[in-house]
Amino acid sequence: MPDTFLQFLVMVPICAGLLALGIPRRLKGFFALLASFAVLAASFLIFGKESSLKLGEIGFGIALNFRLYHFSSFIVAAVSAFTFFSALYCLSFFNKSNNPRQFHAYLLLSMGFTNGAVLADNLVAMLFFWEGLLLVLFALISQSGSNAAFKTAIKAFVIVGISDLCMMAGIALTGRLAGTLNITEINLMPQGLAGIAFILLVIGAVSKAGAMPFHTWIPDAAVDAPLPFMAYFPAALEKLLGIYFLSRICLDLFKLQAGSGLSVLLMSLGAITIILAVMMALVQKDYKRLLSYHAISQVGYMILGIGTALPVGIIGGLFHMLNNALYKSCLFFTAGAVEKETGTTDLAKLGGLFRKMPFTFISFSIAAVSISGMPPFNGFFSKELIYDAALERGMIFYLAALAGSFFTAASFLKLGSAAFLGQSRQEHKEAREARPTMLIPMITLALICILFGIFNNLAIKKLFQPVLLGSLQSNHFFDFHTNITLVVITLLVLLGAFIHHLIGVKINGSGLRAVDHIYHFAPFHKIYVWQEKKYFDPYEIAIKLGRRISDLLWRIDRMIDWVYDSLVTGLVYTFSRTIHRLHSGYYVVYLIWALAGAFLVMLFAFK
Amino acid sequence: MASVFILAPFLLLIILNLPFKFLRRGIAFWLAAGLLLIQILSSALHQRIAAHIPPDLLRLFFSFKLSLDTLALVMLFTIGIVALVALLVARATMATERHKFNFINLLLISLTGMNTTVLVTDLFSLYVFIEVTALSVFVLMAIEKNKFAIEGTFKYLILSMIASIFMLTALAFFLLSCRDISFSGIQAAFSAHSNVALLNVAVMLFLCGLFIKSGAVPFHGWVPDAYSEAQAAVSVLLAGIITKVAGVYVLLRLFGTVFVVSANLQNVIMFVGAASIVLAALAAFRQGDMKRMLAYSSISQVGYIILALGCGTPLAYLGAVWHFFNHAIFKSLLFVNSASLQKKFGSTDMAIITGMGSQLPVTSATSLVGLLSTAGIPPLSGFWSKLLIIIALFSAGKIAYAAVALLTGVLTLAYFLFLERNVFFMRTDMTLESKGGVPLSIKLCEVLLAAITIAVGLGFPFILKILHYTWL
Repeated sequence: MPDTFLQFLVMVPICAGLLALGIPRRLKGFFALLASFAVLAASFLIFGKESSLKLGEIGFGIALNFRLYHFSSFIVAAVSAFTFFSALYCLSFFNKSNNPRQFHAYLLLSMGFTNGAVLADNLVAMLFFWEGLLLVLFALISQSGSNAAFKTAIKAFVIVGISDLCMMAGIALTGRLAGTLNITEINLMPQGLAGIAFILLVIGAVSKAGAMPFHTWIPDAAVDAPLPFMAYFPAALEKLLGIYFLSRICLDLFKLQAGSGLSVLLMSLGAITIILAVMMALVQKDYKRLLSYHAISQVGYMILGIGTALPVGIIGGLFHMLNNALYKSCLFFTAGAVEKETGTTDLAKLGGLFRKMPFTFISFSIAAVSISGMPPFNGFFSKELIYDAALERGMIFYLAALAGSFFTAASFLKLGSAAFLGQSRQEHKEAREARPTMLIPMITLALICILFGIFNNLAIKKLFQPVLLGSLQSNHFFDFHTNITLVVITLLVLLGAFIHHLIGVKINGSGLRAVDHIYHFAPFHKIYVWQEKKYFDPYEIAIKLGRRISDLLWRIDRMIDWVYDSLVTGLVYTFSRTIHRLHSGYYVVYLIWALAGAFLVMLFAFK
Repeated sequence: MASVFILAPFLLLIILNLPFKFLRRGIAFWLAAGLLLIQILSSALHQRIAAHIPPDLLRLFFSFKLSLDTLALVMLFTIGIVALVALLVARATMATERHKFNFINLLLISLTGMNTTVLVTDLFSLYVFIEVTALSVFVLMAIEKNKFAIEGTFKYLILSMIASIFMLTALAFFLLSCRDISFSGIQAAFSAHSNVALLNVAVMLFLCGLFIKSGAVPFHGWVPDAYSEAQAAVSVLLAGIITKVAGVYVLLRLFGTVFVVSANLQNVIMFVGAASIVLAALAAFRQGDMKRMLAYSSISQVGYIILALGCGTPLAYLGAVWHFFNHAIFKSLLFVNSASLQKKFGSTDMAIITGMGSQLPVTSATSLVGLLSTAGIPPLSGFWSKLLIIIALFSAGKIAYAAVALLTGVLTLAYFLFLERNVFFMRTDMTLESKGGVPLSIKLCEVLLAAITIAVGLGFPFILKILHYTWL
């Protein structure tokens, strides 16, 4: 394989995307499918190969360099696969009535940008593609053209844009400290200034992955953006890219030490994200919003795993990244199928769909048990690795991850029983099984979930272990060892979640309201209410603060205006009126003034 | 050479009044205009032509000495321009041929008076020719026998008489204390330090008289009525040059070069100047009539000159002389603008005339130049002279006065923009009827004066160099 082959992985999707902007609407879907298939095939061809390409130097150390190695080839393949599945899914998801204008084009563009960011071996070149994704993100969310979608797109743009700015600063600082911008040549210890650079870069990476507190646009986008966007972007693409870059930061750019403060910081961020997002997911009454909070919560596991800086944790985190992309895309695809058939994703209006959509239900169930961490599905294994590492670094992180597992299971039990079990609704009589082009991605992803679960050792050895080669002492980790105690605890927790669900159904009356007692539990209730009022959304807080500040400035401005408009002019007019009145027109008065003036001149001059 | 400036208008006056009828027609205007053009050119080009001029003729008949220094040349130049403009305006606005002819005669008398005032070198002749000028002014103001104009004339007359009394008394004191009242004699008396008290009293009395003549606050009672009620051409002549020469020039001459001014008196002069600047600007705000507003503005601008004179440094003196010239030009311009309004609509009341910019494009544009220059907006002429004055005040440590001079510029701009908005930029009052077009001669004056204002502003370094050689 010639080295120049690399640029085709980037240029083909970008050019195809630009081309897709112009071709007729009917053909867009097929065109996107074809282009993504071509890139998918290419990425499988080069899987696992080593290659590097220097396209040119711009100056100031900025160069358009690409590097392919095991890790990036694997990410590129995954990205291409998800793009292909999304394009396939879109074929029948979009019909004449809800066909967005340029969704497919942006799909291809985002694939190109992601491949570029993954393959780039220069921080600035990577930033270029990274920012391209920001534009595509805005365009994709605002596809439906509604006002709400536009607002959400702006919100996403601002939040991601600010974190990208942090990353930009981080890149500048890193380049300054390392003396080079080429990723392969950078090797810093995260201390002092380098520590600040590390934090800035991590902010960029984790906010791309959707960790707290940069997550708030995701639940809004779940409602406003077209569903394939959710399955593709926050569920798969951004996790792959964000976590890929996070692990590059922790492994290659900087040497994150186990037990260092930054490691604890990352782990805390992961643990907090797990707990808070899953607590929010638990009480959602909308299929898509519930999934979107899980998309945030699962990032917590990955960050926690990588943040441990232990080989087992990093491999767990990366494995979880892939697993999450698989089952979360699958779950969003089922949500899309349900939305397409019933016209709603409001759980209160759904129910009993398992008879009408058996394959969708089966795919959902597989993905749901995977995300809950049930053996022998893939989510179980990656979570076990993370538990293992977390326990080594501190009981509190392990407990947080475990609690996250419990609530994840609880919320999916609620979701499944509300949407698919229970009474069938009259108004959804017309609902039937999803189209084949939508079923194929779902079922394929669900099958991969099972395969990765069963052949977990193979997946870990083939895909993830080589990542650590040359970075950490890779001999520390050989393969997955079953820690019986941890497995038993996990199983007990899942059993507890199931029992909790049954009790919840008994108490509250239905599967949908199975967790209402948590929602109404006094200490949480207030927080939930506040959260629903968006008191914790940094974007909303910033906007409110901005309004306050501008209001204050406006008042100050009024005061300044008053000084000019009223005080100064008032004074001038008062004086002016007085002087005007004094000029009565009688010459005697003027005479007296003149004589008095002369007198005063004498008086003062003689003093 | 100097005596030509005096004899020429005087001889022309005599010729015009010879009993030939044809002299009373248009020829009088052309002769007077030619005379003024010659005055402008010869004063401007004096350095070049001085060598070809025969020695002073007047010496053959009279014994008084004349001096033709740079200050006098600047004055003669200014007098020539403003008098020419007034002549052109008079041609366009005077009601009858008889009025026009009378105006030319009176103009020639005042021209003789002013030119002599500028050139003489002794105090008594100075006083006499101030009075000659004033005499012509009284008649000029009442030329159309308008009731209000006569009222204005009366006020001017009364206050002018008071000024004359002050000055005459001062002259008596000077005679008592120096015997020789030529400028050099007075200078000698000051440097001899004899009769200091008497001299000081004389100086102060003269100062008060000149304050009245130049219309500084609080001696300004006659100014608004005199300027605003006079006929349009007379307003230009009066506000533009006559009162400036009779009052401000004499102040510049005597207090700049002849008298030795004590620090106390300097403070008094500066205070009067600052008071004129601020109070007149404030008073201008409430005026509804354009000419009255211009009259107050005139007082305010004279305040700048007096303030700079009081400061006493060479730079301030330079600024004062330059501001004198600039003010004569742009204030004449603004009065010509008011004359064109008067001509077109029969009024200068700003409540009646609104939004006439589209009907009077030349007047509108030139008035903008004039008022921006008055307010001291760069790069027009008024900016540079005010800048010099303010810099001089600042470097002399008179920061409070500098601040007053600076801030009043804002006030000036405010009331002039009010004028401009009202008269030219507001929505046009369709009910107002035009009483005929603006004559070409007025337009010509407006363009000429605006061009000078702009040219002086843009040619700042060149002019500064000329004045610099003389006073710095």
